[in-house]
Amino acid sequence: MQPFALNYARPAATLEATTPYAYDSGMQLNVLRDGRVAARDHALMRELGTTTSTAGSKTHFDD
Amino acid sequence: MTVLILTCEEDVTADMVVVHLNATGVPVVRLDPADLTDGVALSGEYVHGGFRGHLSAGGRLVGISGLRSIWVRRPGIPAARAAAPSEWLTEESAQALYGMLRGSDARWMNHPDAARRARHKPWQLRLAQRCGLPVPATIVTTFPQAAREFAERYPDLVVKPVSGAHPQDPPRAVPTSRVAPDADFAAVAFGPTLLQRRVAKRADIRLTVVGETMLAARKAAGAEDEVDVRFAPSTSPWQPADVPPRVAAAVRDYLRAAELAYGAFDFAEDGDGTWWFLECNQSGQFGFVEVETGQPIARSIAEWLARPGPDPRSRANGADTAVS
Repeated sequence: MQPFALNYARPAATLEATTPYAYDSGMQLNVLRDGRVAARDHALMRELGTTTSTAGSKTHFDD
Repeated sequence: MTVLILTCEEDVTADMVVVHLNATGVPVVRLDPADLTDGVALSGEYVHGGFRGHLSAGGRLVGISGLRSIWVRRPGIPAARAAAPSEWLTEESAQALYGMLRGSDARWMNHPDAARRARHKPWQLRLAQRCGLPVPATIVTTFPQAAREFAERYPDLVVKPVSGAHPQDPPRAVPTSRVAPDADFAAVAFGPTLLQRRVAKRADIRLTVVGETMLAARKAAGAEDEVDVRFAPSTSPWQPADVPPRVAAAVRDYLRAAELAYGAFDFAEDGDGTWWFLECNQSGQFGFVEVETGQPIARSIAEWLARPGPDPRSRANGADTAVS
């Protein structure tokens, strides 16, 4: 009784549970431990994959 | 006038836009509807023929009449993190928040009504056709025989979810996948199935449109079996690309008809250079493109959000809607 498309499903990849930044509600930005704004570090974001088209797909399917 | 951003805290892509807004001194209030009523609060009065509403989050208070724009980026489910969450409380919170915001004069990226409609992939395919974008032959069906006949006409097929959603129990991903020529289509009867002629692509195209600004990126295709670029190992980088004028005109028509201020279009470029429309994600990710190409997508979004005045295109489901 499994829909056809689910024959092609695979286990979901999980992003690393911990990221090296945390949300600062005062700045309204995610901040690295050394105080730098995470979004300014493009190399780090590329490495973490938190801006990729599959990031956040668990709750949002607008990739 | 303030920009309101509805998104979750961990949305570092939204941060890229906040950075630009901060740099230009545009006031920003960022909140996650999931934090109603613990951390986010609202109030609105309808008295003497007028409305006065306020939102507060993170120690900031903003009047709803003082909003210049609203960016619906990655908002959580309203009240999902309340002390006693429930479906009822979520509905109450959604109605209160979005109901008040819908009455504001702020410009939306994107309006919830337009966004909801734009998520329907079959609707996207039809709108793309009407706007003159090439669409690969596609069938959405629950008839196994219709799927078999379609496969006879188009032997090289891919299957993808109609909604783009991924099953969560257990968590699984459903990438766009090639269908073997001898596939058994009996299970098509158990769920709507979207089959599409596979485009023999030489590149994937992500065209991000912010208002009138178009920023295209191109990624050379990998192995022939690599159908879904999101789930394939990255072998070639995203690079800036020019948008063919006919595509640009059609995309402009698409967004106007869809009443969207933002759209992330996916195309497959074939050997002749034709861009085949695959989908338009009304809230598609852009951070991965910007960090690889350096294209100013976040800055374009910030500039759009910071613009003063109402947007005549922001009336969702208005009388000039071309497709419903």
